[in-house]
Amino acid sequence: MSLRVLSDSDRRSKLQTDQEKVIAQLHQVSKKYKGAQSNALENIDIDVFQQDFLSILGPSGCGKTTILKMMCGLARPTSGRIEWPTSNFQNSPQNPANLSFVFQEPNLLPWMNVYENIKLPLKILKEDNYRADEKIYEIINLVGLNGFERYYPKQLSGGMSMRVSIARALVTQPKVLLMDEPFSALDENRRFELSQEILKIKKEKNLTVVYVTHSIYESVYLSDRIYVMQSHPGKIFKEFDFAGIEKNEDYRFSSEFFEQVKIVSDSLKGVKFE
Amino acid sequence: MNNRFQSIFIIIFVFVLWEVLTHALNIKWYLLPPPSMILGSIFQNFSSLMESMLVTLKVTLIALSMSVLISVSLAILFYLSKILERSMMPITVVLQVTPIIAIAPLISIWVDSSEMATLICAFLVAFFPLLTNTITGLKSTEKNHLDLMRLYRANKLELMRFVVLPNALPYFLSGLKISTGLALIGAIVGEFVIGPISGHSGLAYRIIESGYQLEIPKMFSSVFLISIMGIVLYNVVRLLSYYILKNWHSSYSHTD
Repeated sequence: MSLRVLSDSDRRSKLQTDQEKVIAQLHQVSKKYKGAQSNALENIDIDVFQQDFLSILGPSGCGKTTILKMMCGLARPTSGRIEWPTSNFQNSPQNPANLSFVFQEPNLLPWMNVYENIKLPLKILKEDNYRADEKIYEIINLVGLNGFERYYPKQLSGGMSMRVSIARALVTQPKVLLMDEPFSALDENRRFELSQEILKIKKEKNLTVVYVTHSIYESVYLSDRIYVMQSHPGKIFKEFDFAGIEKNEDYRFSSEFFEQVKIVSDSLKGVKFE
Repeated sequence: MNNRFQSIFIIIFVFVLWEVLTHALNIKWYLLPPPSMILGSIFQNFSSLMESMLVTLKVTLIALSMSVLISVSLAILFYLSKILERSMMPITVVLQVTPIIAIAPLISIWVDSSEMATLICAFLVAFFPLLTNTITGLKSTEKNHLDLMRLYRANKLELMRFVVLPNALPYFLSGLKISTGLALIGAIVGEFVIGPISGHSGLAYRIIESGYQLEIPKMFSSVFLISIMGIVLYNVVRLLSYYILKNWHSSYSHTD
């Protein structure tokens, strides 16, 4: 199996065979901001399958972030609907315990130390019980923050801050992780290091990840599927499927990887990237 | 540490220069007494001056606490209600821009207790910087932090406790630095206009007294003690602010 572009009929047949695996579906979602002339997003159709690593790739300002924000309830679509087939969730699908959001910046609260920052969601969700510490330290181990519990955000490097941010998102044991260009402010090495860990964590926790990025390399390296977007208005114009390709450390340096980057890049000719 | 020695050295140098010049130029002691004479006067009138200092200190601290309490409550109310802010902010501005020296006689007519009248004067001068700074702090909460709270469906109380109030803390503390000095000024001005506080005179009244009796060194010693009080109070607030913010705020680097 290798990389292929999904046509509309491919999509329909995939939806039929994997029906019970659908975790979220965007149907013809559009977004128009108050006072704007035209739509920011137009007729977005996205299917998220269980344990998918899904990337939304597109130029800056094409509305990728807005899609994520609509998925977690921070923004509302102007038209269209977002469905969460509830059989996959214990309670309400957009419940913060099922869904976590990793912001573009670490977005830590500077007056709380690492431990307190990670604990915050549990406190707000009233899960601040005797098991809280167990959960927190499990996550601290998982993202490699041992020994940094009492550090304050201003004492941390960009990469470390991002780890705390990821830990905070994971501490509620979500099913779906929404990530908004989380590594865009980091240097190349840090980026790679953290991408690897995200793959590892995804596997370990059986997570479904929706990942927004404007880096072709990153999206090819990480994803099972890629939605490619254009801007003005924000629209999806291509969908890639990496079915069956194992994304391990060797993959990043394989000729296969570079071929696939080229295929995705070629499809973007004429789309302005920043 | 080096800087601290430098400033102490400069202060000592100024006093020595003052001492030497008053003697060398033969300046009359009733125009400008040398520091040694002022110091002597402080020791001579030590107990009465200390008593007065305590009176002034008490007014200053009570007025400052009142300002903190009232301005923080008002700031939170204004933050929660735009209507309240729009309707009440102009009143606080009027109180701020009208010179306290002009309102003080009115207050002394309206309020029977001289202690209460002086307190009100000090309060009126001190509370405004605290109010505006705290409001600015509450309003400057980052949108991303608010979004984070919305993600977890935090209620208003949690929003205030975890994000909005801590965010306002540095602004509040920098307001407190200004207001501490102002509370002292208000207490002094109040006493100047209103008179001794229920029979006990504070440092301001000592200045007037010594003026009447032409005891110039004593007058200077009162002024000197007021300055010392101001410096000590300011530094207490500065240290408080340092210990509260040193871990997380960008105005304090973590290396020192």
